[in-house]
Amino acid sequence: MDDEQKPDGIVLTEAQKRSRRHRSVAIALALGVLVVLFFAVTMVKGPGVLVRPM
Amino acid sequence: MSVVDHHAIELGPRISEAEVGDYIALLKPRVMSLVIFTALVGLVIAPGHFHPVLAFTSILCIAVGAGASGALNMALEADIDALMSRTANRPIPRGRITPSEAMAFGLTLAFFSVMTLGVLVNWLAGGLLAFTIFFYVVVYTMWLKRWTAQNIVIGGAAGALPPVVAWAAATGSLSMEPLLLFLIIFFWTPPHFWALALFRSDDYARAGVPMLPVVAGPDATRLQILLYTVVLVAIAAAPWPLGYFDAVYGVISLLLGAGMMWLAINVYRYRVGRPALRATRRLFAFSIFYLFALFATLLLEVVVRAVAPVIRAVAPTIGAIASAIG
Repeated sequence: MDDEQKPDGIVLTEAQKRSRRHRSVAIALALGVLVVLFFAVTMVKGPGVLVRPM
Repeated sequence: MSVVDHHAIELGPRISEAEVGDYIALLKPRVMSLVIFTALVGLVIAPGHFHPVLAFTSILCIAVGAGASGALNMALEADIDALMSRTANRPIPRGRITPSEAMAFGLTLAFFSVMTLGVLVNWLAGGLLAFTIFFYVVVYTMWLKRWTAQNIVIGGAAGALPPVVAWAAATGSLSMEPLLLFLIIFFWTPPHFWALALFRSDDYARAGVPMLPVVAGPDATRLQILLYTVVLVAIAAAPWPLGYFDAVYGVISLLLGAGMMWLAINVYRYRVGRPALRATRRLFAFSIFYLFALFATLLLEVVVRAVAPVIRAVAPTIGAIASAIG
């Protein structure tokens, strides 16, 4: 395959880039909340965090 | 072939332009707000001390679980949504999100909400949340909704479970009080949704959804609304004679119930033209207020019960200070 026929691949439009960035930030925030939540509950429960009643 | 399938074919390999707002819309925020409120009431009326962090975690997990159910529901009902004016503007019919993306989103949220509630709070609550999501998505959305006119009667159990999940999160057990909350929402669901179905019956008929007005006709639906409202009003007042809540709740519940009954009777009486349309719209709108006000009364009663001893304890001190100043 010569250089002229080499596909450029998928090039994202500005709108696609922007929405992807927004979605990535939202996922990061959600994961951050999850981390904070697990940390806070661990602090609250102390050693009892390992006790998981039915 | 549905509108959604056309989108998939026309777009080919597509790159999403969906914004965060589109994914939030998948969570059905208005339904979620009612779920959060009823769950909060279930949590607050539960006996014993429940740490605020664990309470927040429980409500968050229940809310996310409800959102997951909404996303999975939209993924599975995209063909119906595209045909109904009320739902045609949802993210999937608009082509913002594909059904498979919504499915992946919903399954991820369902998994994390159940696991987080189970691991951080308790597995009874986690299990009940998993059952709620399963019931809404599999039993209601995939099975009942397209099969029987009793779809929202049986499926209503899913919407009635959040306060039970919350109670289980707070206590690690179940008892009569959350069952009463469950029954109130369960019997509230048919009059609420059949009122909506009465003035949206063309939508449902076009989409082929066997709602009661489409299958049995509007007059049979009006009778069913009236009968379910009678049962609802009786069950909503039941916590008073059963001794779970005092007379203030009982009286407010009966007053609100009188409003529901009056509007349900009007729906039964007015069967044609604008008066009929107005009656069904009024019942639909009031039913939302009714459930909110009923649960708000429960919430206030618990708050007053908790605050009253504190007020009684500090009252003499405040009186002494006031007389000293005077």
